[in-house]
Amino acid sequence: MPKGDLLAPSRTAGYNSPVPPVSQAIRVKVLFFGRLKDLVGHAEDSGEFAEATTIEQLFALYTARYPELAKYRSSVVASRNQEFAAWDTPLYSGDEVAFLPPVSGG
Amino acid sequence: MAKHPHDDINQLVREPIDMAALARLVRAPEDGAVVTFDGFVRNQSHNRPTLYLDYEAYESMALAKMREIGLQIHEKYRIHRVAMVHRLGRLEIGETSVFIAVSAPHRAAAFDACRFAIDTLKRTVPIWKKEYFEDGAVWADGELPPVPAATPRAKPAS
Repeated sequence: MPKGDLLAPSRTAGYNSPVPPVSQAIRVKVLFFGRLKDLVGHAEDSGEFAEATTIEQLFALYTARYPELAKYRSSVVASRNQEFAAWDTPLYSGDEVAFLPPVSGG
Repeated sequence: MAKHPHDDINQLVREPIDMAALARLVRAPEDGAVVTFDGFVRNQSHNRPTLYLDYEAYESMALAKMREIGLQIHEKYRIHRVAMVHRLGRLEIGETSVFIAVSAPHRAAAFDACRFAIDTLKRTVPIWKKEYFEDGAVWADGELPPVPAATPRAKPAS
């Protein structure tokens, strides 16, 4: 999957730009497991997103790309950096987010 | 991997689990009981004959959650040591997918802790199984882990 194409590129300063960038993009690693991985077609993605993107917004961006994801929204939980996380959790550069279907170990 | 404060064993493995070795490892002279749980692959699911199962995990998080369960049961019960091992990959009927051994000075704490450990593992550890049948494969129904409803503040990754 092409990198960082989920959002329009953020406004960044050009080489000779007199002004600093207004908003910085964050780089986030995104993981999919179980049926979500099957649906998306790969287990791992990495992209650049707008600063302060929440987990909910991130899922919505992937839903726009893979519309079938929408029907799993109510049966998915998310984690940020290996901890279960609320949907409104804002993301920071370097974060690892995973979308997890109901677990069935044991 | 960092040494566990209680000398517990938490592993994800791709080979058969050596249950006898683990049960031996957790026991010490001051203990009086070891309770073990051996979870293995059933030959059917909802009355459909199963061919085999394939397990996958979010490995780094699964190990962290298994360690958390160990710490929780040390806090809740008077136990000595815990071994918790889950196997990943393709497993045939009858093969052990998860094994837990808990040692304790007295049996009641070991029984309670072992039960709590497997129940919590099945609800919170990010592991998934795909069931293969004659006519196809499905991801097993699972449990949705409890997640904070909303976050008051999130800290940047350190």
